[in-house]
Amino acid sequence: MNFIYFLTEAQSAIPDAMNTLTISDVTLTFGGLNALTGVDMQIQPGLITSVIGPNGAGKTSLLNCISGFYHPTQGEIRYGSERLTRASPHQITKKGIARAFQNLELFRGLTVLDNLMLARHRHLTYGFFSALVYWGRAARLEAENRAFVEDVIDFMELEAYRKRAVGSLSYGIQKRVEVARALTLGPELLLLDEPMAGMNIEEKEDMVRFILDIQKEREITVALVEHDLGVVMDISDQVYVLDFGELIGAGSPREVAANRKVIDAYIGED
Amino acid sequence: MSANRWFATGNFYTTYRQEQRIFTTHLDRVLFGLFLFFLFVWPLFVSASNKHMLVINNILIAVVAVYGLNLVTGFAGLISIGHAAFVGIGAYTLAGTARAIGDSHVLITHAWPLMILISGFMGAAFGAFVGLPAMRLKHLYLAIATLSFQMIFSWTINFMTFFNQGQMIAVGRVFWISGQVGRNEHYLFWYYVILVTAVVCGLGVRNLLRTRYGRCLVAVRDNDRAADAMGMHPGLTKVYAFALAGFFAGIAGALHTYMFRGAGFESFTLHHSIIYLAMAIVGGLGTLPGSLFGPVAIQILELQMEHISEWAGTFLPATMNLATALRPLGFGLVIVLFLMFEPRGIANWWRICRSYFKLWPFRY
Ligand SMILES: Nc1ncnc2c1ncn2[C@@H]1O[C@H](COP(=O)(O)OP(=O)(O)OP(=O)(O)O)[C@@H](O)[C@H]1O
Ligand SMILES: [Mg+2]
Repeated sequence: MNFIYFLTEAQSAIPDAMNTLTISDVTLTFGGLNALTGVDMQIQPGLITSVIGPNGAGKTSLLNCISGFYHPTQGEIRYGSERLTRASPHQITKKGIARAFQNLELFRGLTVLDNLMLARHRHLTYGFFSALVYWGRAARLEAENRAFVEDVIDFMELEAYRKRAVGSLSYGIQKRVEVARALTLGPELLLLDEPMAGMNIEEKEDMVRFILDIQKEREITVALVEHDLGVVMDISDQVYVLDFGELIGAGSPREVAANRKVIDAYIGED
Repeated sequence: MSANRWFATGNFYTTYRQEQRIFTTHLDRVLFGLFLFFLFVWPLFVSASNKHMLVINNILIAVVAVYGLNLVTGFAGLISIGHAAFVGIGAYTLAGTARAIGDSHVLITHAWPLMILISGFMGAAFGAFVGLPAMRLKHLYLAIATLSFQMIFSWTINFMTFFNQGQMIAVGRVFWISGQVGRNEHYLFWYYVILVTAVVCGLGVRNLLRTRYGRCLVAVRDNDRAADAMGMHPGLTKVYAFALAGFFAGIAGALHTYMFRGAGFESFTLHHSIIYLAMAIVGGLGTLPGSLFGPVAIQILELQMEHISEWAGTFLPATMNLATALRPLGFGLVIVLFLMFEPRGIANWWRICRSYFKLWPFRY
């Protein structure tokens, strides 16, 4: 009897494959200004979901709501069965949601390696006293996580910059480190805020390749905010369009491209 | 592993475990070993006067205290202008115990290692408490919070009769395996105790810095939004930084009380807090060797300034008090010069020397 009890307990402890992120009726207000108004969205596991929209449409604000930097004034965000609406960024990171920032938020004084090792923080589960003597568990887990970091460095082709201070690297490489660091957190869901902004064609192609590999090889769900419509239409499974904080279109890339309101918003902008 | 582990040149790693080493070459390890060996054996060959031993012991106590200040201000980037008060907490944990249970109670004279440790934890507790505003406040506001702790501390000690209103509270002589530590061996005995403490604490800090418990400090200094996104609680991390600082300060305070055979308020004033900051800055904020260089440099500077002002006093008109003003003046000048021309402190000179030898025998 007991044996069976433990068996079922162990099974239910494993998260059912991957979770869906559900955003329902989210409104975010700054003073009198609505950055987001009644947004509904679903980020399905295993897919690449993109959010597009003109400047100031509220894309970054939306990611900030998901990752806990802002809390919606109204509405709810759920990840699987858990509510994220009031959680702090570090709590959300622990639930397996990682975020790469639009305006680089790296530890500029530290090397690429240290930046990535910091992302292993919650996986380094040794105690304070073990760390003090740097023996046994601490040394072992440090080495294991270092191996994980090296794997990401290898994956993101950052070998040449491993020991360089992040602040001294070119913008394109820093962007790549930003994505690598989010990946090093070991997430189920990766939020990328304009990972290709300010890059040249070559760097963009690399980044697209990385994003596709992240989804296919590493089996991580990707939510992508991006201005480059060509890229978005090429790689997304699902596209949401924001304009002035409101959702004006959703669907497959093909459906969105045919949507009257979306075309108006984009033509109206240019 | 490469064949030659004596020089950094041509030395490469084959496992991550090897790269974790503190000393990557045998040469580093041997030189450090020799340095330690020297620190332990020199008193056997040279007999220094009490006056010199006092200076040396003071430097080593300051090293322990500056480990703490460097962790909170250098690594975690939180300016603390109340470090002397934390040292005072440690000192008065011991002195207060002496006053409560008698200055020759076995707890004080025999269980002194325990008392030192307790003083450390007391410092950590106060550190954490004073660090609480760091959950919300930043930069200048936080510095003011630490400053006000300094003020409250001085005020409390000066007014409470339990603390003898800041006058000296004596503690008894301690016992070692060979019996009571007498007047003649006092400074030498405490030299060894303080040296061992400084070395053990130094190794502890060095280890912390290469684990999550050290990296998190640098993370909240560089970018606390990103630190949050990395899964650490930035506020609690800062409180933890203050607790660490308080711990080392507390240890230093207890050592101070034992060495001076008592505690009085005049060793833990704002002036001393500034001196600790100067030590951390001149040594090199955010570097471990800086915690060693700083106290040495500042102590030597203080002694020199004393000589100079004495000498200047012989020909400057005494009525103008110029000679006494020279001391704080020269002191302030050195700090300002360091902040302007070498903000990374003496540790940076050390780094440059080392990186030159790293490539040896190649120039670049
Ligand atoms: N902290 C804040 N305080 C006040 N207003 C804000 C804040 N953050 C965002 N906003 C406002 O919310 C609106 C949406 O901004 P957001 O950064 O989300 O746009 P975006 O879609 O990411 O734009 P971009 O393409 O330029 O990155 C803007 O009008 C912005 O000024
Ligand atoms: Mg944005």
